[in-house]
Amino acid sequence: MSSPRALHFRGARIIDPLSQRDETGELLVVNDTIQSIAFGGRVDAPKHAEVIECAGAILCPGLIDPHVHLREPGGEAKETILTGTQSAAAGGFTTVCCMPNTSPCLDTAMSVRFVEGRAAAAASARVFVVGAATVSRKGEQLAPMASMAHAGAVAFSDDGDGIASAGMMRRVLEVCRSLDRAFMQHCQDASLSEGGLVNEGSVATRLGLAPWPRDAEEVMLERDLRLNGRLDARYHAQHLSSGGSARILREARARLGADRAHRISGEASPHHLLLTCDACEGYNTGAKMNPPLRTQWDINELKLAIADGTIDVLATDHAPHTIAEKSRDFASAPFGIIGLECALALYTKALVEDGVIDWPRLVCLLTLQPARLCGLDRRVAGIGTLTVGGVADLTLIDPQQKWTIRADAFKSKSRNCPFDGLSVRGKAILTIRAGEVLFREDPVAQPQRAAVATGS
Amino acid sequence: MARSASQTTQALRDIGPDLRLPFAARLRLPLLNRFAAASGIRIPPLRLWATVSRVTRPSIIQRSFGPDFLALEGVCATELTSILDDAERLLPCAVGDAPAARVLEGKLIANLFFEDSTRTRVSFEIAARRLGAEVVNLSASGSSASKGESLVDTSRNIEAMGVDCLVVRCAISGGAALVAANVRCAVVNAGDGRHEHPTQGLLDLLTLRRHLGNLRGKRVAIVGDIANSRVARSTTHGLVALGAQVVAVGPPALVPSSWGALVSGENISISHDMDSIIGEIDAIIMLRIQTERAADRGVAPDYRFAYGLTEARRRRLRPDALILHPGPMNRGVEIDDAVADDAFSSVIFEQVSAGVAVRMAILSRVCGRR
Repeated sequence: MSSPRALHFRGARIIDPLSQRDETGELLVVNDTIQSIAFGGRVDAPKHAEVIECAGAILCPGLIDPHVHLREPGGEAKETILTGTQSAAAGGFTTVCCMPNTSPCLDTAMSVRFVEGRAAAAASARVFVVGAATVSRKGEQLAPMASMAHAGAVAFSDDGDGIASAGMMRRVLEVCRSLDRAFMQHCQDASLSEGGLVNEGSVATRLGLAPWPRDAEEVMLERDLRLNGRLDARYHAQHLSSGGSARILREARARLGADRAHRISGEASPHHLLLTCDACEGYNTGAKMNPPLRTQWDINELKLAIADGTIDVLATDHAPHTIAEKSRDFASAPFGIIGLECALALYTKALVEDGVIDWPRLVCLLTLQPARLCGLDRRVAGIGTLTVGGVADLTLIDPQQKWTIRADAFKSKSRNCPFDGLSVRGKAILTIRAGEVLFREDPVAQPQRAAVATGS
Repeated sequence: MARSASQTTQALRDIGPDLRLPFAARLRLPLLNRFAAASGIRIPPLRLWATVSRVTRPSIIQRSFGPDFLALEGVCATELTSILDDAERLLPCAVGDAPAARVLEGKLIANLFFEDSTRTRVSFEIAARRLGAEVVNLSASGSSASKGESLVDTSRNIEAMGVDCLVVRCAISGGAALVAANVRCAVVNAGDGRHEHPTQGLLDLLTLRRHLGNLRGKRVAIVGDIANSRVARSTTHGLVALGAQVVAVGPPALVPSSWGALVSGENISISHDMDSIIGEIDAIIMLRIQTERAADRGVAPDYRFAYGLTEARRRRLRPDALILHPGPMNRGVEIDDAVADDAFSSVIFEQVSAGVAVRMAILSRVCGRR
């Protein structure tokens, strides 16, 4: 019998969001678990261990994206669970939570098991299912959330649509509370956004595109927070786009007090931190998003909210669409962009390079926070942290590596990335799930990277 | 214009490539321009007088191409004046009082109307025929043909049959630009969704100029469904470029607060009180409530009371003030019967004649000079 598989990380900047340590050290993985961590010291590694010289690169828990669209079943022309998880691994994500707006919708225990089965077969990044809260995401009838939770759904959402009826919203929050699952709201009051394509303002006016006011997001967020004040469910507002929403969330968290504030959270996505509605000029469908890109004021407010902890989850809202679909006219092209393979670099650009937060905090918002939101620790012990005896889901990040985003080189099946051609800094160079290497950067393709020399 | 069989075959082959190139060509975020420049990607601007950069496909149909005419936004005063001067000279020809030089002899112009229209289509057709061009009409209103995808496919098919100019009307904002980015022949925007209707803007300018002279400093009110009106956008761009002051009048649901940002500068204002401005303007342009663009939901049943051009309001206009309407009218809603019919104060039918003249000027510009 051969000796157990072992990985010995040397000279890494180890960032663990749980213990809040950020020190150079060594880490030893044996089989699928973290065997030992030595901050500022050395681990006792077996002779056969594969040595990974990190040369100061950041070693952190595997990144977790709580908001992706894998499109399977029904949208396999855009993405599959296989290509989506490979895309995740290439971007440094070891875990993704997929949204239920597939066709058919993920609103039964059977569909949850289908996705988990496909994800197991794909054998790349972990996939957890966010189930639909209402049947077919229509907001009319409760979905079988208890059996879905039992089958593995880690949270619930009607993402793509907000739950319009306040009465239904209250029922959903009650059930989520009883099941101890988070509810993720796509905040969009359809009566305010209906037909909207671009942020309400001068770009929409000049281009003659239907306006989408911030109110559409803020009104629903405010309503939900009001409802949840009594129900105390774990409430999460997805992809916030409006600076006003950030302020609403900040006030609500302050009202709840320090010990309850974590019951509500908000999420940011890279495009809402880097692009404004000006990107829609020339009817650029590559910048057509739901919720829409807004203004520099909103970007500034969202960054403030990330800096002060109001927004404490980061996601990608990875939304693949085919080239043909995005080549339609602005009104009929679908909303959304892909993000898994460039999110880390874009967050580095928007948040770290801009001085909003530092690396340890960025790591926390991309690992521990989404793991807590979805209660992933219940499924995989130690996920989102670096814990001795916990799962060895790890990402090695070269924070200095300069590279150019090339959508054509993505593992994702889709190419709808408005950041194509952008020069960025910061890249995942090694992605490990349960001790298995999912992605290792090809050293030939990127000669200027930090050394990830391996030896034995 | 004879083309060999092999050229035609090539042209037909050229119609159906995948949509990769147009998509790439539309990734033109201003934010990313410099990165694109650094990496050698050409990101064409899409605004819009003068030549729009085409998708780079191998040049198969050997022909020189004229500029497109897609919008009045960004057209400078010199250029506008030059077009209006041309149109003014062509006015007698437009109404049949004088023969026009047949500068489009041998040209083929296709009217591609994905949205219903009578007057605009006929006006373009008459303009083209008076200049000697052949005209084909294609009406394809209805939901499936209005989608962007078939808009491009249809345009490429028609182009491959050897037309020199596509006159495009569609319900999609940006539709004409989308067509222009995907074909090689000239494209004239005959109204795209809520965006622009530049020849209508020009005919308003021509009509106003003929009555008011130089438009610098003149005050023009545009009343009604500003939010959904492509005419309001084109006319405002043109008026402001020529130095006029434009006041947008209507209920808040139909006059977006961001209207003032349509162009930079101080020449645009907004009023929700028609009676406060009615006595101070040189001309008033009444717009139709566009029920097909769902504008009626923001309109109260007392619209006429607040914003209709009634007899009483007409009496408060300056005696020399002009009343324009791009038509078709909702009589008894935005304009009273008697006001519309009053031939002495109304120049509405003169607008229609001016429409043929400006379209003659535009068509000869985009495909008349080789």
